[in-house]
Amino acid sequence: MNKLDDLKKIYDSTEIPDELEFKVRQSIRRTKMKNGIQLGKKFAIASVASLIIFTGMVNINQSFAMAMSELPVIGAVVKVLSYRFDVIENDNVNADIEAPVISGLEDEVLENALNEKYYEESKALYDDFIEEMGEIIEMDGHLGVDSGYVVMTDTDKILSIGRYVVNTVGSSSTTVQYDTIDKEEGILITLPGLFKDDAYIKRLSDYIIETMKSEMANDDSKVYWVGDDQFSSFESIDANQSFYITEEGKLVLSFDKYEIAPGYMGVITFEIPTEIISDLLVNSTDEGYVKP
Amino acid sequence: MLQQYILKNKEAHYKMAFSYTKSKEDALDVVQDSIEKALRSYKKNGAPDHLNSWFYRILINTAIDYTRKNKRITLMEQEKMEFLLEAEDQYRNFDLETAMEKLPNAYKTIIVLRFFEDLKISDIAEVLGENVNTVKTRLYKGLELLKIEMKEDDNE
Repeated sequence: MNKLDDLKKIYDSTEIPDELEFKVRQSIRRTKMKNGIQLGKKFAIASVASLIIFTGMVNINQSFAMAMSELPVIGAVVKVLSYRFDVIENDNVNADIEAPVISGLEDEVLENALNEKYYEESKALYDDFIEEMGEIIEMDGHLGVDSGYVVMTDTDKILSIGRYVVNTVGSSSTTVQYDTIDKEEGILITLPGLFKDDAYIKRLSDYIIETMKSEMANDDSKVYWVGDDQFSSFESIDANQSFYITEEGKLVLSFDKYEIAPGYMGVITFEIPTEIISDLLVNSTDEGYVKP
Repeated sequence: MLQQYILKNKEAHYKMAFSYTKSKEDALDVVQDSIEKALRSYKKNGAPDHLNSWFYRILINTAIDYTRKNKRITLMEQEKMEFLLEAEDQYRNFDLETAMEKLPNAYKTIIVLRFFEDLKISDIAEVLGENVNTVKTRLYKGLELLKIEMKEDDNE
């Protein structure tokens, strides 16, 4: 058994890096944060003015820049403005958080609700960043938060906005959330709202599992958490899985980094062929949001 | 509960990850990936029956994914050679380590869990999703392979 003792000694003497503690805490916090941000909370009315007050307060402690910019008008009716705040402590510690502000929606309640949500999330990001900053500077580490938005689709009918957050502490994590709005009706489109009943969850999950397995079989570099790893294998999409609708009317489901695959796979999206879901849609593909 | 477990056992988890990846960066990535995967699953499916076995299972699968992806084995051995040249008194350990590393994962995992992490055979069976007899057989086979390998080296 001496050999084993020797091996154990080598194993036990594995050097523990200083940043382990921090990285572990960071991972815990990241997962918490992602789950802490949820749609459907009660909406207070937030105006652009309150955003400016908030960023004004930021100014007291940090070198700070704010730009209120009006993007080229998006669509005929809805405009997307943005505000941002940057914190640049040094090369290694910086935050760039830009949030969209929607204006021009006929339904002001919806507009306010969305803008409030964007504001709350950006503020939470900022607060987390400030909280961690001191610790990181002390450790001479890296901390970066990069958050912004992308207009995925903008047609006469639909506006899809994706908001992303990239957290960098050594390795990075990325989350993306989408909102898809019916501009004509002034409503927020939800995933369950597209379908007649819950059957879509299984249909889409099955399609995604099949796609993951076939991609893994054809390409060694792809790994998804599906199949033999029974404890944490992907089994089902969330009823409110992150999604958007493309200009061509295709449904796209999105999974955050780490959600269904190892970190190096990044954010993963699957475009769903309309024919596999057409019988489940509330509206026919002639009239609805999803097109053939 | 899971958070406390993770914080408390982080060093053991890191060592386990390192025994697969042999690189600090990759081992840290494996630990981070595993934590995020575990916390998500925990939120979705609730608490597992046996936290420790459950977490090790996630950790080991994640580590194997990484080694499959990175295939750093050749580089690793080169680094070891350089290390060896600097520290001759490590020679014996080097032999042992090499033998251990040459073991297929199926055997290595069991030896690490049983002797280094002090898990019971029944717990290891749970981690690996195998029955107890399979685990025992592999453990003995693994030890046997280690010894055989050592002897062959001695004859050179």
